[in-house]
Amino acid sequence: MRRTTYLLGGLALALATADLGSVRPLAQSRSGAQAPAFQVDVLWPKPLRDHWILGSVTGVAVDAKDHIWLVHRGADSLSARQEMGLATNPPGSEFCCRPAPFVLEFDQAGNVVSHWGGPGDGYEWPRSPGGMAIDPAGNVWIAAAGVSETPAGRGRGRGGATPATPPAPPRPQDAHVLKFSRDGKFLLQIGKAGKNEASDTTLNRPLGLAVDAAANELYVADTGNRRIIVFDARSGGHKRQWSAHGAKPDDPATGFRTVSCVKLSTDGLVYVCDRQNNRIQVFKKDGTFVKEGFVSKTTLGDGAVWDVAFSRDPKQQFLYVADGQDQKVFVLRRDTLDVVSSFGGGGRIPGYFFGVGSVAVDSKGNVYTGETYEGKRLQRFVFKGISAMRGGSR
Amino acid sequence: MNRRHQLITVALVALAGGLGIAAHLLERAAAAQTTVQAPRFEVDPLWPKPLPNNWVMGRVIGLGIDADDHVWIVHRQNTLLPTENALEHKPPTGSCCAAAPPVLEFDPAGNLLRHWGGPGEGYEWPLSNHGIFVDHKGIVWIGGNDSKDAHILKFTRDGKFLKQFGRFGQSKGSNDTANFGAVAKIFVDAKTNEAYVADGYQNKRVAVIDGDSGEFKRYWGAYGAKPDDTSLGTYDPNAPPAKQFRTPVHCAELSNDGLVYVCDRPNDRVQVFTKEGKFVKEIFVATKTLGDGSTWDIAFSKDPQQKYIYLADGKNEKVYVIQRDTMEILTSFGDGGRQPGQFYAVHSIATDSKGNIYTTETYEGRRLQKFVYKGIHPVTKKDQGTVWPSR
Repeated sequence: MRRTTYLLGGLALALATADLGSVRPLAQSRSGAQAPAFQVDVLWPKPLRDHWILGSVTGVAVDAKDHIWLVHRGADSLSARQEMGLATNPPGSEFCCRPAPFVLEFDQAGNVVSHWGGPGDGYEWPRSPGGMAIDPAGNVWIAAAGVSETPAGRGRGRGGATPATPPAPPRPQDAHVLKFSRDGKFLLQIGKAGKNEASDTTLNRPLGLAVDAAANELYVADTGNRRIIVFDARSGGHKRQWSAHGAKPDDPATGFRTVSCVKLSTDGLVYVCDRQNNRIQVFKKDGTFVKEGFVSKTTLGDGAVWDVAFSRDPKQQFLYVADGQDQKVFVLRRDTLDVVSSFGGGGRIPGYFFGVGSVAVDSKGNVYTGETYEGKRLQRFVFKGISAMRGGSR
Repeated sequence: MNRRHQLITVALVALAGGLGIAAHLLERAAAAQTTVQAPRFEVDPLWPKPLPNNWVMGRVIGLGIDADDHVWIVHRQNTLLPTENALEHKPPTGSCCAAAPPVLEFDPAGNLLRHWGGPGEGYEWPLSNHGIFVDHKGIVWIGGNDSKDAHILKFTRDGKFLKQFGRFGQSKGSNDTANFGAVAKIFVDAKTNEAYVADGYQNKRVAVIDGDSGEFKRYWGAYGAKPDDTSLGTYDPNAPPAKQFRTPVHCAELSNDGLVYVCDRPNDRVQVFTKEGKFVKEIFVATKTLGDGSTWDIAFSKDPQQKYIYLADGKNEKVYVIQRDTMEILTSFGDGGRQPGQFYAVHSIATDSKGNIYTTETYEGRRLQKFVYKGIHPVTKKDQGTVWPSR
């Protein structure tokens, strides 16, 4: 009798979950075009162990094994008084919570299968991480994006307990990228904290990066220096650089405003987020400008184009654009850069966002998002095939 | 032959029956000895429905269920960050979002119904609204916890102003019988029409007033003593229990059998009184908890005896299930985090007529969540963690 009740309960829930697309629409806009459809997976990833909590998530990536990785800001973005009582001295709480390790690797089922990160010998762990990338060999690349002078959305602890590690004097501003093996062994640092001029060997608060394995090259969105810069991925040696429209990077009038991502398509194009210009610019690998597309042109503030990812069909027919200002993910046709759909909205319930700043796609076409600011989540949106978006555009 | 066969059959049936009864009795005896029973819950990750109009909630610091099982919350519009209220900027900095009205009513399916609140004619909307209660007449009560909020407001369910008790900025402390001191929560006794006021963030008392006139009838401090506003300093888990409430006095809830349960939040305890304010008993919860404390809000189970108490702990991010007669903690659920069933500063708790639990979160949590009642089951874990439905 009791078992029957459980089974029925489970069945009812399974139905509710299966019905997500209609019960919990993702505020998906309808343009009449063919576009991928998604449903939020409300029970992914699994709850973290040991009362770990995430700080602002700044980078999300999927590796060749279809494992999902994130990097987050940890204690730097959490409130000592309100939420990490197990990590203060003395402890402010008995049962919860403490920051999760900076880097977490999830399997497809949503279990954490590895975790690492933090300061170590031979490299400078970021004051705040930015984007992350996994190369085909499984190496993990992390941008050191640094800390804004007036950080938005940071935890605002007031009085009470202090962090277990008393804050050290401010470290030099981040100006580098890091390369680790997938188990967290340090391999390479390019750039050096505090040395942020626009030279061939230095960076300034870079937000994004991508690896071209065939050419063995690393592309960096060098945000503070308003340029894309390319390095040899093994030696860290300088290769080339450019700014908006392929211009020289040292022209502030024509440069990027906030270059926040760089991604490489399988057909050899370089997609660059110019966040506060609300645009994507497309280049050849040598920096030759190809075209640009705008997303939510009226968006002010932090801008509309934070990060992009490609759909997983062979032609990479669609682009997914994370817009942490409008709290949604736009779906664009890659060939025309036209917006064909969007999902999300503002809020803390599943499928909604606060500061969605990272996006990645697995081999099945599922989309993963990371939220910074107070969002502090990793979410999964299950790919439900390509279908016509009914009705007109809104 | 035939008859002998019948006899054997009868004997076998009797034997089997006897064995069955014996086994049943043994099972019952074993169960009684070894298992603790408690209500079990699972989060409903799809409740409530998304808000319309690109609305988002700020800190959700009040929760009440009305007679129709509608869920009422009050939240603070002015706690949105500039990075999330783009529609409130001039010009708007994006297509999302704006603060929802302070008072929101949801139906059992999670649809938003009525929404209202904010400053208006004839009353002083609190600087920092806090706590919401829908009484037996369908009247909505709201408090406020800014240091200058010294009053309580009453509205119809449509948001029409009815009455204000106390005046903004006029508090004269814990022995003032005309004003309050930053009220956390209100509970109205349907039998007597008396309002029990958790008073509060400035005052250190429970105040009882007439629900219609607002006239003060009685008030008391910790252990039923006269409240004293002398500062208690910082909570020290190794010191003897404080003789006064330590602000905020965060809830004052009346049980069906006439006991008043008071959340003495930073003191990590719940004190129990008679309706007249005579001290009955107290329990201590997670007493090493510093700062905001462990005892934020309570709700009673919906059986007539109210056999269980559900206690929200916004510092340890969980809900304790407590047996009311013994005040023993049987189990707990919840954990820190932003996924369904997890909490960031779980602040308010209430139950509907079906026994489901609702919670709200303040600080960065800013959610209303529903936990579905799954019946009484043996306790297998003292700390259940995140209670998800199975896939």
